[in-house]
Amino acid sequence: MLIYLVRRIVFGAAVLVGTSLITFLIAFVVPADPAIAMAGAKADPQTLASIRRELRLDQPLYVQYSRYVERAVRGDLGRSYIRRENVTRLIADRLPATAILAASAMAVSLILGIAMGALAAAYRGRATDNLLLVISLALVSIPVFWLGTMLLIAVAATMRSFPLGGYSGAASLVLPTITLALGSAGYYSRVLHTSLSDAFDQDYVRTARGKGLSPARVMLRHAMANALLPLVTLAGLDLAGLLSGVVLTETVFNWPGIGRLAAEAIFNLDIPVIMGTVLFSAFLIVVINLLVDLLYAYLDPRIRLAESV
Amino acid sequence: MKFVLAKYRGSTLMLYALAVTFAFGCGGGPPPLNLAPGAMILRLADADDIPTLDPAAGYDTVSWTFEQAIFDTLVRYGDGNIELEPDIATTWESSPDATVFTFHMRHDARFSDGRPVTSADFRYGVERVLDPATRSKGMEYYRGIRGSADFIAHRATHLSGIETPDSWTIIFHLSAPDPIFAHKLAMPFASAIPRDVAEKWGDDFSRHVVGSGAFMLMEWIGGQRLVLVRNPFYFAKPLPHLDAIVESVGVNQELQWLRFDAGQIDAVIDIPPAEFPYVMKTPALRKLTLAKTTVTTRYLGMNCQMWPFTDLRVRRAISYAIDRHKLIALLNGRGIVARSVMPPNLPGYDPNLKGYDYDPAKARALLEEAHLGAGFKFEIWMRADQTGLMLAQSIQQDLAPLGIQVELKPVAWGPFLEAIRQPHTAQAFMQGWEADFPDPENFLGALLSRAQWGANNDSFYSNPNVEKLLREASPEADLTKRYALYDQAEKQVVADAPWVFLYYPVTYIIRQPWVNDYVINPMRPTRFEHISLSPHPQ
Amino acid sequence: MNRRHVMTLENVGAAMVAVLVIIAIFAPWLAPHDPTIVVAPTFGDPGTPSLAFPMGTDELGRDVLSRIIFGARISLTVGVAAMAVTMTIGVAIGLCAGFFGGAVDFLLMRFTDVMLSLPALLLAMAFVAVLRPSLLTILLVIGLVSWTQIARVVRAETLTMSSRDFVIGALALGAPPRRLIARHIFPNVLPIIIVMAALGTSGTLLLDAALSFLGLGVPPPTPSWGRMIEEATIYFRTAPWLATFPGLAIFYAVLSFNLLGYGFLRRRSQ
Repeated sequence: MLIYLVRRIVFGAAVLVGTSLITFLIAFVVPADPAIAMAGAKADPQTLASIRRELRLDQPLYVQYSRYVERAVRGDLGRSYIRRENVTRLIADRLPATAILAASAMAVSLILGIAMGALAAAYRGRATDNLLLVISLALVSIPVFWLGTMLLIAVAATMRSFPLGGYSGAASLVLPTITLALGSAGYYSRVLHTSLSDAFDQDYVRTARGKGLSPARVMLRHAMANALLPLVTLAGLDLAGLLSGVVLTETVFNWPGIGRLAAEAIFNLDIPVIMGTVLFSAFLIVVINLLVDLLYAYLDPRIRLAESV
Repeated sequence: MKFVLAKYRGSTLMLYALAVTFAFGCGGGPPPLNLAPGAMILRLADADDIPTLDPAAGYDTVSWTFEQAIFDTLVRYGDGNIELEPDIATTWESSPDATVFTFHMRHDARFSDGRPVTSADFRYGVERVLDPATRSKGMEYYRGIRGSADFIAHRATHLSGIETPDSWTIIFHLSAPDPIFAHKLAMPFASAIPRDVAEKWGDDFSRHVVGSGAFMLMEWIGGQRLVLVRNPFYFAKPLPHLDAIVESVGVNQELQWLRFDAGQIDAVIDIPPAEFPYVMKTPALRKLTLAKTTVTTRYLGMNCQMWPFTDLRVRRAISYAIDRHKLIALLNGRGIVARSVMPPNLPGYDPNLKGYDYDPAKARALLEEAHLGAGFKFEIWMRADQTGLMLAQSIQQDLAPLGIQVELKPVAWGPFLEAIRQPHTAQAFMQGWEADFPDPENFLGALLSRAQWGANNDSFYSNPNVEKLLREASPEADLTKRYALYDQAEKQVVADAPWVFLYYPVTYIIRQPWVNDYVINPMRPTRFEHISLSPHPQ
Repeated sequence: MNRRHVMTLENVGAAMVAVLVIIAIFAPWLAPHDPTIVVAPTFGDPGTPSLAFPMGTDELGRDVLSRIIFGARISLTVGVAAMAVTMTIGVAIGLCAGFFGGAVDFLLMRFTDVMLSLPALLLAMAFVAVLRPSLLTILLVIGLVSWTQIARVVRAETLTMSSRDFVIGALALGAPPRRLIARHIFPNVLPIIIVMAALGTSGTLLLDAALSFLGLGVPPPTPSWGRMIEEATIYFRTAPWLATFPGLAIFYAVLSFNLLGYGFLRRRSQ
């Protein structure tokens, strides 16, 4: 178990190094001169030259990379070119909003996905199953930003006082959560459906049915428990996909989160913020993957026992 | 069986954790606002966060809106006009040759922490702007002060050209005559800055600003809201009337409008294009609007050093070929067709300049003369903003019938500026220029002189006649003579057509009927000091 | 349960894709107007759907229906080309990792892990913003961020294939790996590749639409569905149809490839 843990952490660290290299690569493929980004449109060449000197951009790449990594490890992700603010602070300010959006979307999509998947599996082969299949595929095919815009249109046309955009409490969370959750719900329902169908073919389920237990009871007590864990861990591992959806949802609803920060930074070519947000997302993903792996390993004795052999 | 339940537990644990976070989120949101009940609060909203509150750093409308509420300068513009009037300086004079400017300050100005404002604070403010470590966007405006080169190169620790004989007098010595130098001190860059606070916070000063203006910073939650409250030490009592100003961030234009409609915010600075026709057609709403003709010109710059725009006939042809009335229609009428370099509000503006009217026949004839009757292809570089893209597509449509194929290159600010400042990269570009101070030098000198090649003269235009006129006009202190010289220069520029003069933007602001004394200033965002609110629901 | 349905998922999907391809190819004949010129009487205001303009007109006076029809060209081009790039990279990596195993597998999989921990959209946005949007840039970038799933699946299949006796035996006899991969492994992996191609195209289409929506797509005036939605967002109250129709188009295109791919997938596991 301990070996497993250590191995996983080492892999995670290696992945983080790799992602930092790639994000650094982005920064230096940039043709833009950061001095212009900082000094603005009307700056004259003398001002630009002195800024460049201040930023010490003349140093070799590997020196700049190691400085960056060294600071990043300490939590200093540099300063935004456009805003002069500490990148870490910019991210920290906006993290709670994204976290809440992501968590509620995850919860809603799991609940919805599980319900749909279980229902489809219970009525396997019948009309309900096929209908739910089509619905799931449809949900996965809807572009997130379009869904958000459509919801805005629908609500704006019917409910005048419903909060539209921005983060101001529970009601404002509803539309962005639905937008973000529906696509994943469709995906999870298919995954659950598949694993439930597999479970149904297992001997112990057949035995239970042979004993005369009703299909629903069989499913809930036996099949579901086995099928649920892989699904929930999959949801955790899908954080990268969720973050992509978060960027779009936050843009449509003006949600004050990290996704919007990243989108604005990319639009303005604010390199330190771009690097900071990408690196931070990678960090989150690696950490959560690690936690999910560990949880899975802990709960699945096969892995636990295999390691100690 | 126990094994099965164990697995079940793991997943329910996860779901439980998520549910808890969800419930927490439902109660969440920004922390409640701690203002006294019954306080007079001006509520505003904006889509993007305030870039900065540091006067040395800010150089955009939003930053200046709040900087001028928190900080004071020696002089400022009057409400609604561009005449210089006293702010902290009560009187000032300049030497006849416009190289020495002396300001006498009032004695009762204080920062919001109680400390009096002295001449040393203004000195520090300007030195801070010139210090390369601050990376200020306003550096170039104060280079004219004697000793600035030494200061910037760290050869001197103080700016020798600023003299502070006592705490209430400050004298600026310039290295060359500059009749409009006083205007440069009206920009927020030249605000009084408390040295101890600024040095304590360094680059984070923006989040902990302390100034001597009518308001002070109460809280700034990044991405959510900015709250200013009245400065108890402000010298111009009983102002301000307002107790607080709250700006909510992250509210896009459409949502701002909806909130305004519901009475939740007190003013919308830029009415969204989708709503604008409706507002103008509704008398009750229309009378709540204010039109602000900014001192801005938007133009399509043509690179006079690159084919095909080296040929004057081609430049004129393009000028004749673009229908600017269509552009104004696309902007719902929020603009004035441009016929010259300088916009109407700028002193020295010449209303008699005709520019180039829409005349496709003339355009075609000129192209034939230039042997380009069959058409050609060129690129327009631009910033990737929606309005600009919309207008650029209209231009594409105008030029297509002449066989001219326009390719758009929308890029971010940084690459855009880099590209247009290279002499052989961008053939044409969409640009705009807003006046920094009310003088023709700020347009003609800054944008069309040879010295600005590689800086702001991105058309790489140069005409020896114009150069001579600009050199004569710049040190000229007699305004009549000055404007006459610049006018001659402008006539030449219009004839040379390095730009297609597109339009002068007009923004429309709408405020609630209970908002009083919301005054428009063409060169600055509206000041908050005189605004008051009548009692109203909400 | 044993009835043979004509309306299977993959058939419906295939039909939908076919319609899309036809629309894209015959766009100039199908579209009633030129998508880039002004045809509406109102300029500066979007026009409501009418008989003359069944999907309305946008603020620049262009016919929305024509723009949607021509938009199919861009979407399909980017979607399919990006998928080809994705397939190339992903299959190559998957095959190598699965077949050679050992250190090669380890390194390739760690590299895949790195790519997996970077949100695809963010990465694509960053690259496109940095490299300046053009058709080529976009399809390359989308291809570069989407290959991880393919690689994993192909690797899994290759592993199964490679552990078969005949492969082990052939290797032991000295058969060149390239030939083994080409002759025996690849053809068996092909079915899953076809499935992933269909599903992958739906992914690249969505990613392209997202990039256009964020302003990082093909520059105007080329009609692009995602950008049309972005231009329409400010009119969401006054002209909601402007955002509705392009979205429906994206939905249709993505759904068609999903049906196709998922139908194949189900057929394979039956």
